Amino acid sequence: MEIKITKLFFLITCILLCASCFEGTDFDQANDVVVTPEIELDLIYFNLEASKFYDYTNYTEILVVQDTTDLDFLGGNDINDILKRADFFFEFTNSISREFNVSFDFLNKQNTSKYFMQTTVASGNEDTPVVSYFVQSLDEVQIKELTKAKKVLVTVTIPSSSQDLTGVLNLQSKITYYLQIEQ
Amino acid sequence: MKKFLIIYLLLGLSVVVCQNKQLLYNWEVTPQTLLLNPGSLVTSQFHAGVPLVSGFHFNVGSSGVSVFDVFADDGVAINTKITTTISRLTSRDFFTVNQQLDVLTFGWLSKGFEPMYFSGGIYQELDAIAYFPKDFAILAWEGNRDYIGKAYDFNDISARLDLLTVFHFGVNKQISKKLTAGVRLKLYSSLISVSSTRNKGAFKTTVREGSANIYEHTVTDLDVEVNTSGFISLDGLEQSQVSKKLLGRALLGGNLGLGIDAGITYQFDNELSLTASVLDLGAIFHTKDTERYRAKGDYTLDGIALIFPELVNGEPAIPYYDNLEDDIAREIPIDTINTAYTQLRPTKINAGLHYDFGRFVGDNGGCNCKNNGTKKKRVSQAGVQYYSIFRPRGLQLAGTLYYTRRFGNTLSIKTTYTIDSYSAKNIGAGMFLNIAGVNLFLAADNLLQMSNLAKANSVSLQVGLNYILN
Repeated sequence: MEIKITKLFFLITCILLCASCFEGTDFDQANDVVVTPEIELDLIYFNLEASKFYDYTNYTEILVVQDTTDLDFLGGNDINDILKRADFFFEFTNSISREFNVSFDFLNKQNTSKYFMQTTVASGNEDTPVVSYFVQSLDEVQIKELTKAKKVLVTVTIPSSSQDLTGVLNLQSKITYYLQIEQ
Repeated sequence: MKKFLIIYLLLGLSVVVCQNKQLLYNWEVTPQTLLLNPGSLVTSQFHAGVPLVSGFHFNVGSSGVSVFDVFADDGVAINTKITTTISRLTSRDFFTVNQQLDVLTFGWLSKGFEPMYFSGGIYQELDAIAYFPKDFAILAWEGNRDYIGKAYDFNDISARLDLLTVFHFGVNKQISKKLTAGVRLKLYSSLISVSSTRNKGAFKTTVREGSANIYEHTVTDLDVEVNTSGFISLDGLEQSQVSKKLLGRALLGGNLGLGIDAGITYQFDNELSLTASVLDLGAIFHTKDTERYRAKGDYTLDGIALIFPELVNGEPAIPYYDNLEDDIAREIPIDTINTAYTQLRPTKINAGLHYDFGRFVGDNGGCNCKNNGTKKKRVSQAGVQYYSIFRPRGLQLAGTLYYTRRFGNTLSIKTTYTIDSYSAKNIGAGMFLNIAGVNLFLAADNLLQMSNLAKANSVSLQVGLNYILN
């Protein structure tokens, strides 16, 4: 009787173990996993006083002002393969009574331009600052170039200036990265 | 029959088992019950485990998700299923791996003026737990774009892994007819350990009126710590050197610790008994080969502010980006230190109320006449058991109802129904077989899921081979 019970127990648990499997599953689906995070990140900002466009020592106009900064997070091999789209968003608030041309030149280490974009900012005044938006969406081909860049050169051009010019040109900006990580 | 056994063992060893050993607890016929309650009733004169085969235990479990939830062949895109799973899981859900291998186990009855049962041995243990870092899983899976204003909590990050060997020696004594008590001292030798369990702070992207840029990315009240021991000296070593070093640590060459197990059995009468035990009440002192990382501070990032300086005579441009990196490193420094630290062992508590009934076992009425005073065994026992383990986020609990049936002194079968963090429908069964003193025990858990492991949150099987002299 006891031997029969033992055999029966062995048999039942053996059947359970042998029958143990991952039914109704498809592990090949792992190949289809695509991680697609969308990341919002602040970029550059500035407040350019109207006085920046006039040389009070020599009483001359300054029609072009420039500044540059490294932006290491823009490129590199790590992000090159997984970045599928990038949207730049620029918001200008202008209280200077001049229209501006603003350009963003993305340069590599050797200062060679890899991607260039520019926009026009509408003229405003101190009582009613004017807001202008500039959105640039980059596709995969453009991104390949952008990710070779290491820094950005910002150039702000004013058509004319004077020592009486007042107001501020404000920029706020962000970038949206659309990443796609897959096998 | 022999072939049958070998195939069975091989099959068994390939299957995962659960950390709560409810099937072995108070199953007085296995020497391993002494490891779960040093105050168990002992009926044997001597026991010795077959080295490396006397007891094996392995567990993989997850409290909130099964393989089937993600990999079901149901026509739904896997990315959709992962999104659903991430949103369903909470930061209190966890994944565990626990494995124990008895290297050596032995015990004997000392028949002096005060009879006592001594037992000891060595086992190796791997124990890991990781809580689901929900906030950072969302950040990695979806990014912050749709979650502007959400605080990603660093407290969500909590994980621990330990690989160690345990040298133990215990004594068990029947203090009175009703009370049996036991205590076991443990010496831990840690091979490797890594943990990050006390993190706080939050990361947030917000839109704030009047801020300098479109967003503010803030890290608030950050305090994140990762402790490691046993890793630095392995860095750059060949595989063979690593194995040699780990073996040395396994033999008391690692970071050492001390612990204690204690337990009792209280026999109300011949039928009703109460058992309780506390296991691994102790700590490991990581004094050598440690490396600890700590990041602490607050920072608000709002991009790079250009000031358009008037540069003359080839003056260099302002290094905005380097300044930004320096600022972050200054405000949130990451310290690497090599100081000692102490880590508590995950303490476990077992308890049970047991009721014996039916006729007495064996020809001599169930009396173990060589070990006077032990109770007479009946063919059936039923009861309720409690199990808990202290984990980084508090207690994990399990409750078990069980029934044990003995068939002479040869065979004992135990069945259990358990409710725990993994499942509310966990049915298990165990069998102890005694053939001329050679004892084999097999215990399988989560039998309902055995036909399709994909749907199981955890599955278990425990195997052991011992020699017991009654």
